Amino acid sequence: MPLSAPAPTNPALAGIAPTDRHLLRALAQNFGLVLSWAVLVLAILIYCAIYYGQLGTLPGNFEITSTVNNTMPLVLSGLGQTIVILTRGLDLSVGGIIDLTNALAALYLGDTLQSAILGSIAILGVGALLGFVNGALVAFGRLQPIVVTIATLSIYQGLAIMILPQPGGTIPPEFSALLVNSGAPWALLYCVAFGLLWMMLRRSRLGVSIYAVGNDPAAATANGISLIRTRLAAYVLSGVASAGAGLFLAASSTAGDATTGNGYTLTSIVAVVLGGVSLFGGRGSGIGAIAGALLTTMIVNILFFAQIDPLYQSFYEGLFLVLAVVLTMAVGRLVKRRRR
Amino acid sequence: MTDPIPVVPPAAPAAPPPPRPFLGLDAERRHILYAVLGAILVFAVGAAVRPGFASPASISAVLLVASFVGLVAAGQTFVILIGGIDLSIPSVLNAAAILLVTSTLGDDSRAVYGITLTLAMGAGLGLLNGVGIAILGVPAVIMTLAMNGIVEGLMLGLSGGLTCQACASYAPPVVQAAVHGSLLGVPLAIYIWVGIIVIVSIVLSFTTFGRRTYAIGNNAVASHLAGINVPLTTILLYALSGFFAALAGILLVGFGGQASLEMGTPYLFESIAAAVVGGVSILGGRGHYLGAAAGAVSLVALATVLQTMNMPEYGRDILYGVVVIALLLAYGREQEGA
Repeated sequence: MPLSAPAPTNPALAGIAPTDRHLLRALAQNFGLVLSWAVLVLAILIYCAIYYGQLGTLPGNFEITSTVNNTMPLVLSGLGQTIVILTRGLDLSVGGIIDLTNALAALYLGDTLQSAILGSIAILGVGALLGFVNGALVAFGRLQPIVVTIATLSIYQGLAIMILPQPGGTIPPEFSALLVNSGAPWALLYCVAFGLLWMMLRRSRLGVSIYAVGNDPAAATANGISLIRTRLAAYVLSGVASAGAGLFLAASSTAGDATTGNGYTLTSIVAVVLGGVSLFGGRGSGIGAIAGALLTTMIVNILFFAQIDPLYQSFYEGLFLVLAVVLTMAVGRLVKRRRR
Repeated sequence: MTDPIPVVPPAAPAAPPPPRPFLGLDAERRHILYAVLGAILVFAVGAAVRPGFASPASISAVLLVASFVGLVAAGQTFVILIGGIDLSIPSVLNAAAILLVTSTLGDDSRAVYGITLTLAMGAGLGLLNGVGIAILGVPAVIMTLAMNGIVEGLMLGLSGGLTCQACASYAPPVVQAAVHGSLLGVPLAIYIWVGIIVIVSIVLSFTTFGRRTYAIGNNAVASHLAGINVPLTTILLYALSGFFAALAGILLVGFGGQASLEMGTPYLFESIAAAVVGGVSILGGRGHYLGAAAGAVSLVALATVLQTMNMPEYGRDILYGVVVIALLLAYGREQEGA
């Protein structure tokens, strides 16, 4: 699909000014992204309405801050999952990497801010290593991503319990305060920063390779893109992102738990799908995944206010995952039919 | 083939072909043999390290535990053969165990009703997986992962986190006896498993349903063009996977007496591992249930040997993961050369 070629032949666009036409095309190309942000705004409005209806005020600083802070691990793991899914892969070991890095954080961050920062850089390195193992098996071993990451999930979860059999350990309070500010929703700035990072990645050589590999591996290879290097990089980035999620969880709970990440394998995929990223690779954006992560949390918040037992949470997550996949595929089919 | 008979029979042949025939077996049968030999080797090593490990009582204990993994692996093998996967097994198994105790309340007179209801629930949930995958076109990983969440949420919500009064019921004595009772010194559950092994092997090898399964796994488009109802077969296979997960749940609750949360969690990876060890190709179309069954025995035996040597529980998770990756690398390379 040519990006800048003028397309005045389309009769549907005949009466529209050129600038509007560009806007329309940009909208059509980023349909999933736009839709997920629109649904997020809608979910926030519904949440505010229910909140106002029940408590007579709008959600304040505390609610916004805790919502954003609770979402940060999901934002990170969703971003990592997005990169892998864009290359037509899947990372089911996300939960295991979060478990293991979270346990490491509880044991080795020390007692000062300095030691914690050095320690967390090392833990991000461990995340990269864990992702590298996944990537090497998928890229060099040419094995199925699903089975490889289920196997490494089992290994990483086992290692996490080995080093931290009981929840515990300590996180320096200064580190918690730095990462998770409970006074104001500063974590929104992280979301903005991740969005900017994503735009840089998208325009980098690696980003272009990731999309190319996901859209057509054979064509990407023919154009000189290394499948092995691209896939390896995708899993390494996912490992680093999940390690970041493990650090955030450690900072916000001020202790470690070797099973805390288990749910994130499912929820990271929910966030990716709600963010409009195609499960078949090559289409979607990390900025959509950030919206998808925030939307997942908002849905849980709305359910909480609708007096639904939190035990049912994974029921709704699973249900929304299936619904979102089925709906996006139906929309995709409609769009294709109209283009013909 | 039409070469004249060589004068010196064992002369070194030039350039051995990559899939060298071992005992005249093809790769699939060879992998089954490896899995069986692996199980025997583990028992032999176990007996050397811990005298008495290869005693009849100890072997039957290992086989009993392996039968739970093996039953789940039957369903997992079915869906892996068409290139799919069933990640909903942990919740379906766990929900089955809870449904059995809550519907029978430990009463033998309700056992038939409870077992029927539980197996129907397992098959029904599997059927829903199949419909999502075959009709709605949701990728199998996503559909079954979502189903795992859906069933887990319903199970937790409806049982109040397993705090309901009926949840504390025991499995009916009949069900407990079906696991613990023995005939000729062998636990009854093992007979059930052997029966399932025979039935599944016959279904896969000698029925049109089995041929269709392999055909879809090898090439779904060609199968469709050849007149196979691909969606229907897919739905039936996922229903069978749910059915076997529920059956394993019933036997497990009979084994332990009561249902507990997380009791299904280990069985997802163990069932996949058993299939991989048994030479079932994760890409579909290749493999036999007999291999997966032998894989279940060797994995459980290995974990048991290491447990007697004081390996903690997490060691099993790490070990199975490493074994699966090593075998995937070994068998994957072999197929590449073929």
